[in-house]
Amino acid sequence: MDHGKKIKAPLETAGILGNKCTRRSFLRGLSIAAAAGSAGLVTGGCGSVASSEEAKLKWQEFFKKNYRLMTQEEKEATVERLERLAKLQRGLDIQMSNQEPINNVLYGYAFNVTRCKGYMDCVAACVKENNLDRRLKTQYIRLFELAPGQLDPTSGDGKYYHEVPVKDKFYMGVQCFHCENAPCIRACPTKATWREPDGIVVVDYDWCIGCRYCLAACPYWGRRFNWGNPIVPKDEINTKQHYLGNRMRWKGVMEKCTFCIQRTRQGKLPACADACPTGSRVFGNLLDPDSEIRFVLRNKKVFRFREELGTDPKFWYFMD
Amino acid sequence: MNILSLRFIFLLLLPAVIFLNCQLAMAGHDSVLELIHAADQPFDNMQIESAYQLPVKTVQSKESYQGGAFRVLARKDDIGRYRCSVCHTKKKSQARDGALIAHGDIRINHGQGENELSCIECHDRQDRDFLVDMEGKKIDFDHSYQLCGQCHFRPKRDWLGGAHGKRVTYWAGERVVMNCTSCHNPHSPAFKTKMPETYSLPLDE
Repeated sequence: MDHGKKIKAPLETAGILGNKCTRRSFLRGLSIAAAAGSAGLVTGGCGSVASSEEAKLKWQEFFKKNYRLMTQEEKEATVERLERLAKLQRGLDIQMSNQEPINNVLYGYAFNVTRCKGYMDCVAACVKENNLDRRLKTQYIRLFELAPGQLDPTSGDGKYYHEVPVKDKFYMGVQCFHCENAPCIRACPTKATWREPDGIVVVDYDWCIGCRYCLAACPYWGRRFNWGNPIVPKDEINTKQHYLGNRMRWKGVMEKCTFCIQRTRQGKLPACADACPTGSRVFGNLLDPDSEIRFVLRNKKVFRFREELGTDPKFWYFMD
Repeated sequence: MNILSLRFIFLLLLPAVIFLNCQLAMAGHDSVLELIHAADQPFDNMQIESAYQLPVKTVQSKESYQGGAFRVLARKDDIGRYRCSVCHTKKKSQARDGALIAHGDIRINHGQGENELSCIECHDRQDRDFLVDMEGKKIDFDHSYQLCGQCHFRPKRDWLGGAHGKRVTYWAGERVVMNCTSCHNPHSPAFKTKMPETYSLPLDE
């Protein structure tokens, strides 16, 4: 059992501004610098050790726009800056992408409640792929162990840890359903979260103010909040990142499942679907009549969780 | 027109007004189902160039799915002592402990009670390099779905379509799916019980 297992590898904290420098201390330093009239050396409150290059990059990062308002050049510039900052601050060689959605693609997901055995390989793969906080054990996916005849996870056990599958139980996974009519998007006061043209609901971490309205608005518990700086051992960080996906988050921002945007936009399956040993997870293009997901919708008994709310999720459950 | 007929007209119109309001509340974009029903043109999966080059050996399937031909993972390379006919000859084997170095460890747990399968129900008695179905047709090890499908026809139908089994790595590009034997041990096909890979913390209530 790894309940008591401690992370032994060197710990890395996240954040564009580093762990020593918060927005507040940055601004405080900025005002002091401005008051002193030393406009040439504007590094905020954390520039004492930082190189001038790092300070310049941070400065430019601080005043960038919302991702949706950026031009293509601005997107490329910020991605480049973030790659350089990761190198300067933590010695990480990351490859960050700002890959755009593919035309005529709308991602959809189907989950086979008959086949799932509750092995939780999906959860482990998701944590690894998306650089999720190892300290507070943030997980985008939650598997529930349910008694037969129930199709509502609230009646199930979401924290089981015993040999699975248990006889006469079945398993149902819950994650962000990427609703077409998503309540979380309308709840956001800063427009930091939106639905991309390929149907993925994403968060611009730099515009999130951490008010957690979206968390309250989501009827599916699909969103996660960073109560502290997420901690991922340096050698476990996934360096293939996407600006709207698994790049490192920091204290005080929301995050969520992005259907592994860094993988799916390259034609790959999300990490959970790829890791599933039972084939319970079907992922594909809803706009392609030949896709697997369309076959499931045509030929299987499907239902959506809390469909009556009108959120129009793109995540179906089906049974054999 | 008296007040009564006006009230009547109002009552008639009321559901329509409520319905329209609901429609407006949902407006802004089409629902997923509308989008799906509108999409009837096949998507060119080969346009996504990053979805190629699997580092595994695949073979062209002998059957097709709704999108036409597809590929399945090859099996023969994973069979430790293929070709079987190297040992299974007409000659009597002289090797000491032959059963141990070969596959004497295989225990069949496939089929229940009286219907438990024996080796030769799937393996060809004459030509050990092939499987054989109930009609006596030889089946290649790479195409075991043809054999499994004769009993498990519903899973096979779902597998062909994509509701059973899974694709390998990519949702786009050429369709490559896992074979029956990629996930199921043919001699003991049911999934085993085991400890989960990780665990979740309790929800705050």
